[in-house]
Amino acid sequence: MSESNGGGVRYVYGVVRARRSSRLKQTGINGEPLKVVADGGLGALTSTVPEGFLEAGRDELLTHSAVLERALKKGTVLPMQFGVVMPDEAAVRRDLLKAHHRELETQLEEMDGKVEVNVKGIYSEPRILREALEEDGELRALRESIRDKPQDATYFERIRIGELIAECLGRKRAEDERRIVDRLLPHAVAVEVGEPVHERMALNASFLVEQRRQRDFDRALDEIAEGQSGRIQFKYTGPLPPHSFVELAMEAA
Amino acid sequence: MQPYRGGSGYVARSSSSGLYDVLELILDKGLVIDVFVRVSLIGIEILTVDARIVIASVDTYLRFAEAVNRLDLMSTETQGLPEMMEGITEGGASNKTKGVLQGAKEALFGEEDEDSGDGERQGERRRSSSSTTRRRRKSGSSGSSGGGSSGSRSRSSSKS
Repeated sequence: MSESNGGGVRYVYGVVRARRSSRLKQTGINGEPLKVVADGGLGALTSTVPEGFLEAGRDELLTHSAVLERALKKGTVLPMQFGVVMPDEAAVRRDLLKAHHRELETQLEEMDGKVEVNVKGIYSEPRILREALEEDGELRALRESIRDKPQDATYFERIRIGELIAECLGRKRAEDERRIVDRLLPHAVAVEVGEPVHERMALNASFLVEQRRQRDFDRALDEIAEGQSGRIQFKYTGPLPPHSFVELAMEAA
Repeated sequence: MQPYRGGSGYVARSSSSGLYDVLELILDKGLVIDVFVRVSLIGIEILTVDARIVIASVDTYLRFAEAVNRLDLMSTETQGLPEMMEGITEGGASNKTKGVLQGAKEALFGEEDEDSGDGERQGERRRSSSSTTRRRRKSGSSGSSGGGSSGSRSRSSSKS
């Protein structure tokens, strides 16, 4: 309702195809209405945010992903990282849509019909500890040696035990990660393997999957998960906008 | 297309309704542009970094040692993922799954939603260095493993 063209700082959620600028019924962060700011066939999904700072709490993060997920249901969307804010609509057109026009168009084409699926696997602790004990003689011996001793007399032994377990987990993680990715990748277009974000994480990978092949991908994962039942528990998140598979060149402006 | 709802029940599935599920993707991944103002995410940054550091700490070692010490080798079968699988209900969001990562999320956010009310908010958020260690592989080049071009950020529209 304020200035119709360009008033206010714009938070940018992502880029879609759009013929012209339009206001959407859906709301974004702080309940502000979403507006598609369009230029040259591209549209930035935006809403106004107060100048200065933006709360970066749970609601804001969830809203960011909800807006993108809704957009994904309607068509291809290139997600922005959380927290991209531009001074006004003119800047959105100039510095995002015009400056990166070709890249954005190319990536929209590349992402047509594709979604991101994130797969995480967590080891069962008792199971993986058993495996470690079976495989590592030093670990077994250490465990026996501290059995009946008071805790404060065995500090360094216990550190060493933990270290051996962590090393063993690292080896298993590398092997399981490779095996699982090798079995899933034939059903995907690309994979981005991430760092474990938990000490017992076996796998943390995002796959770019063609929507028409998503069932095959999901079945393949089900088979793997069944085979690993009781050892690795899998968590599947998706379909998501292709966060891990978009990128803009960061040339100096 | 409707995503395949696995009948096996071995995989916990969700869309991005849970914050933990999408947190790293939203914070580390996606388009960023050269001319931009990045909001300060001090609280979240610290929490994610903490969660990553914990993987190779002395505390972790001691915890592992404790766990392996307690492990009863005679017991018959493992009970899956005990502490992780206890349904830690998530306040607010309608999380459809009881995923194993609830526990990890708890590690990230404490027991309750992290409060977004205080802290300084000036300045840019530093990029997490962990994102540079990601590897990307592409499908299509047969099933041969190992030789994949690692670290490459290039893309092609390989339509199979």
